[in-house]
Amino acid sequence: MEIHSRDYRQRARHIIQETPEVREAVTAATQTFDDHRRAAFDDLDRDALRRWAEGVKSHALTHLEEYLQEAEARLLERGAQVHWAETASDVHQVFQHIVAKHGVRRAVKAKSMLSEEIGLNPFLEACGVELFETDLGEYIIQLLGEPPSHIVGPAIHRSLEDVQGLFHDRLGTPFDASPEELAKAARRVLRDAFLTADLGISGGNFLVAETGSIALIENEGNIRMSTSLPRIHVALVGIEKVLPRWADLPTFLQVTSKSATGQPVGTFVSIIQGPGCLVGQEPDGPEEFHVILVDCGRTRLLADPEAWEALRCVRCGACLNVCPVYRQTGGHAYGYVYSGPIGAIIGPGLVGLGETVPLPFASSLCGACEEVCPVRIPIPKLLHVWRQRAVERGLTDGAERSILDLWAAAVTHPRLFGWVEKLMAIIPEWVSRRLPMLRDWNSGRELPVVEGRTFRELWEEGIE
Amino acid sequence: MSQEARKRILGRVRDANRDRETVAHPGPLPEAVEPPVPFGKAGRTDSVGAFEDRFRAAGGEVVRLFEEGSAQRWLKEFASEFESVAVCIGVPDDLQPDLPAAPSSDAALGVSVAVGAAAQTGSLLLSSREGHQSQLLPPVHLVWLRVQDVYGTLGDALEGRRENLPATLALHSGPSKSADIGQMIVTGVHGPGRIIAAIVGPDMGTGV
Repeated sequence: MEIHSRDYRQRARHIIQETPEVREAVTAATQTFDDHRRAAFDDLDRDALRRWAEGVKSHALTHLEEYLQEAEARLLERGAQVHWAETASDVHQVFQHIVAKHGVRRAVKAKSMLSEEIGLNPFLEACGVELFETDLGEYIIQLLGEPPSHIVGPAIHRSLEDVQGLFHDRLGTPFDASPEELAKAARRVLRDAFLTADLGISGGNFLVAETGSIALIENEGNIRMSTSLPRIHVALVGIEKVLPRWADLPTFLQVTSKSATGQPVGTFVSIIQGPGCLVGQEPDGPEEFHVILVDCGRTRLLADPEAWEALRCVRCGACLNVCPVYRQTGGHAYGYVYSGPIGAIIGPGLVGLGETVPLPFASSLCGACEEVCPVRIPIPKLLHVWRQRAVERGLTDGAERSILDLWAAAVTHPRLFGWVEKLMAIIPEWVSRRLPMLRDWNSGRELPVVEGRTFRELWEEGIE
Repeated sequence: MSQEARKRILGRVRDANRDRETVAHPGPLPEAVEPPVPFGKAGRTDSVGAFEDRFRAAGGEVVRLFEEGSAQRWLKEFASEFESVAVCIGVPDDLQPDLPAAPSSDAALGVSVAVGAAAQTGSLLLSSREGHQSQLLPPVHLVWLRVQDVYGTLGDALEGRRENLPATLALHSGPSKSADIGQMIVTGVHGPGRIIAAIVGPDMGTGV
C-alpha cells in the first residue's frame, strides 16, 4: 500500500477538525473492546500468562530458522505448496501464476493485514480478478474505498448511519435498515461470491512448526468459508507468526481472543494442515493449498538489536484500544496499514524510519500499551528508541531541533537560563503563540498571564 | 524464484540471530495460570456443565440427552421445524433427521458430529473429514456430541487430535456474529445464526 505517514500531523488535524464523529465512534468502540478485555482476564494470573506468552514468542524468534524449516517440511508432507516471498512483488508473482494457471475470475478474501501491506487487492483487480472482501467490516470499507482503521475492527470509525447510507446507495436497502437487515443484504452478495469463487485468500494468526498448521481466529465464519469453499486456498503468513509446538496453540488462541475482544476464544477457529482432497479423501475442501511465507521487512526488523521484540506481536489490537492518541483519530491518520502504538514501532522497522518518522512521536508515552500487551512488547521503550534514531538521523523538524538544542544549552548554563527566563517573562503573547513547538501546544489553550518577573527574581526578593 | 528467496530469507534470519542470546522455551503453561474453574476429565459432569455454560454464554444452544432413545425422540420434534437437511457423512443413521435431503447451500438445517469439545472455551471441535459445507452453509447447525468427548481445557481437547489431524480442524463456539455495523451485535452474518449442541450419553459423575 502507499504510505502517507509523513503527513500524520495534517491528517490527524483534518480528522479531528472535519470529522469529529470519528473520534466519538473510535473512542466508544475501543472502550468497549477494552472493557471486555479486562473482564476476560479477571480470573487469570495475567502477568504469569503474559510472561509465558512472551517467552514462547521470543523462543520462536530466536530459533526462527529451524522452526520455519520444520513448518515448511510438515506442510509439504501434507500436500501444501509452500512459497517464499521477500517482497510484495514476489507475492504478486505467486498470485499472478495461480490466477493464470487456474483461470481465476473471482476471489473471496478474509481479513489479512499482511495483504494490506503488500497492496494485494489492487494487484489482483489489475489482473482482472473480481475480489470480494468477506469480513463485514472489510466489505464496508472496500465499498467505501478506504483502508482499515483498526487491526481487529476495520470499520470502527463508521457509524450505523454511515453504513445505512452506503448500503442504500450500493445494495438498495432502506435508509433506516436495521443492522440485521444490513448484515442480511451483505450476506446475500457475499454468499453468492463464496459459492462461485475460484480462489480463497486468508492470512494466518499462527503457524505451528510441529504440525505445519495455520490457525485463524474470527467471529463471522467468513474465514471458514474462504478457506474451504473455493477450489484453491492461498494463505499469506508473515515469517514471524511461528509457534514452536502444537501444545502452544490453545493458549495463544485464547490469549489473542481475550486481548482482542474479550471472548474466551473467537467464535470460529480454523486450524488448517493441508488441502482437503489429498488428506484422507475428505468430501470437500480446496484441491490446492498454497502457503506464502512473507518477509517484507521482517528479517530487517529481526536484525535490529532493540526493535526486534516488536515481532512478538499477535495483532490483537489491545494497544490501540487503550491508546489516548489513537482514540482521537482512529487509524487513518497514521497513513500506514498498522496504526496506534504497535504501528508506530513496527512501521519504522518494516518500511524504514524515513517513511514513517512522525509515528513514534504520536504518543503520550503513558505506558498503557505495554501494560495490556499480551506478549509484553516494551512499546514505550521502543518508541523512545525510534525517536532517538530519528533525531540522530536528522529526520525531525529543523526548527524543533534548534529550539531543543537552545533549551538544552540554557538548562545546563545557569546564567543563560536566567536570561531566557527574563526573555520568556516579557515576551508578548502574540509572539509566543507563533513560536515553533509552542504553536501546536498553544492552539486551543489559554496561555497563563505573564507576571513580568521571573521566579528567580521573586525568590531573591523573598517569597512568603 | 521461491527457492532463491527461501535461501536468502533463511540466511538473513540466521545472520539476525547469530549474536543474539537464545531464549529457552518456557515449557507448559504453569498450572496456576489456568482459570480456577475445576475442569474435570473428559465426560465428567463438571466439564459438561462448564461447556454448557460457556457455549450458551456465547449464544449457542445446548440440549442434554441421556440415552439414544431420548435423542431420537428429541430429534423428531426438533426436525419438524425444518423443511430440508444436509447431513455430514459421519452422522449415524439413527441420528439423522427424517427430512428431504438438500444441497448444503439450500438446506434449512445442517447436521454434523463433533470430534470433541472444550469446556474452558465452550468450543465444539469439528473435522473436515465430515465435510465443511454442511457445517457452514445452512442457517441452523445441529451438532451431535458424545458426552465422553467433552474435555476440560482446550489444551486437553486438542492434544488428542495431534497425531491424526484432518485437513482442517475447526472450533465452533457459538453462532456466527459481527459487531462491524455501528458496534451492534448481529448473528448469522455468514455462517449459521443458530447452533445447537446435542450432548448424548449418561451422566459420568464429577471429576473430583
